Amino acid sequence: MKETKDIIIGHTRSICPVCGRQLPAQRVRHGEDIFLEKSCPEHGDFSTVIWRGRLSISSWMCGNEPLGDDYNPNCPYDCGLCQHHLTDTCCVLYEVTRRCNLHCSFCFAEGGAGDDIPLAKIKEDILALTRPGKTFLQLSGGEPTVRDDLPEIVAYAKNVGCKYLQLNSNGIRLAEDEAYVAALAEAGLSFVFMQFDGTRDDIYRKLRGKPLLELKKQAIANCAKYRIGVTLVPTLVPRVNTDDIGNIVRFGISQVPAVRGVHFQPISYFGRYPAPPANEDRYTLAELVADLGRQTNGLVNITNIAPSHCDHPLCGFHSSFIAMEDGRFIALTKPDSEGCCCGVTTAEQNREYIGRRWTRSQEEEVTAAPAAQYVAGEPDDLDDFLRQAKTRSFTVTAMAFQDAYNLDIERIRRCSLHVYEDGKFMPFCARYLTLGGTE
Amino acid sequence: MERKIICALCGKSLEMTETFFDYYGHHLHKDLPCCPSCGQVYVSKELAEGKMRNTEAELEDK
Repeated sequence: MKETKDIIIGHTRSICPVCGRQLPAQRVRHGEDIFLEKSCPEHGDFSTVIWRGRLSISSWMCGNEPLGDDYNPNCPYDCGLCQHHLTDTCCVLYEVTRRCNLHCSFCFAEGGAGDDIPLAKIKEDILALTRPGKTFLQLSGGEPTVRDDLPEIVAYAKNVGCKYLQLNSNGIRLAEDEAYVAALAEAGLSFVFMQFDGTRDDIYRKLRGKPLLELKKQAIANCAKYRIGVTLVPTLVPRVNTDDIGNIVRFGISQVPAVRGVHFQPISYFGRYPAPPANEDRYTLAELVADLGRQTNGLVNITNIAPSHCDHPLCGFHSSFIAMEDGRFIALTKPDSEGCCCGVTTAEQNREYIGRRWTRSQEEEVTAAPAAQYVAGEPDDLDDFLRQAKTRSFTVTAMAFQDAYNLDIERIRRCSLHVYEDGKFMPFCARYLTLGGTE
Repeated sequence: MERKIICALCGKSLEMTETFFDYYGHHLHKDLPCCPSCGQVYVSKELAEGKMRNTEAELEDK
């Protein structure tokens, strides 16, 4: 029976998207969907969809500690991390430039023109943020590859002890400049997070202003040549590419071991975006989970997807597979498996989990032609499983960033992705928060 | 010459036998020395600390 009565299912705190003041907020069920609702005495009521469909939000958030009375009343404006923040740093994001070689309709960083950050300043910051042997550093921008000295930055970060070095890139230079890719590999780059919005050029035209699919494929090929793992990162926008999710996953699997996984990012509205969002402009994690099941014919589905334990469950999910040479697609993640990452070692467990899977094995040998298609399967021979687990790992992960409309203080204080700037670590969504909603 | 392993309980020579492991709902097999009489399997320290531990790590979530 369809439920029509509005029910408050949880309390948290958010902000007014216009003036930014912190406000009490409720998670409210209307029918099957969940909304974050809040009311600003000056700017009125706001209701933003945060969950759509039949997947139970209460099951998804099982075990989550709700926001108590010990929140910071000035969150998120007191950042760096304060005493109320609950999660250690898993990954550090650091901007090496504001410049970019694209002008996308959506961009968290509002990349564009501007002066580059001096190399000496970058080295000073990297030295300050690094915990030798532990740090997982994301070099971001703007578009980091507009810098000719990026290999030197990578080598420096490696030299001062960064364990994993990730490049966040649109892939254009990686496609066009093979010598640059070779230099990044030589410098010690671990892997690339590559913007990859779909398997059709109409998607790139809409989101990025030009057809880019062939460039993306060339970038993957160049990274493969120098054993730099690539994780595909689609920004999911309703009515643009949410119908292409299954194709993106299938394309990624077909590129194993060069491609290590797909990391979906449902669109959020901060930085640069075309217009203030209506609810139909949003795509929730619950819809992504459902569409993954439908569009991959069950290859990736709710039985092998686990909500984030390192961050807040509403911030993302992970699932891990082995794409075996014979076409078996073995799901390793069980949502109810024990050993979820909680407590002080949380960020470290998460860091090792993703770092190990996204790094391409340097010892791998090609022993078989890739399978024509993949079907769900189970491991059998221990030696064979172990050999392929090291080389043919594939992850499907997601992160739903927050904006001024759906910002949830409970989520902010569980964030483990921290931006380093001006000597401070800040949760990603707090750092890139953009006000300016309409009344 | 290959080392002979004798079952401490039965005194019989172990024979290589397909052996199954269950872990986190997955079933994997490997040929291991096994007593033909009582069925006890010999897992060497090297195997336990090497491939078996690595397999567990791959199958475990975070």
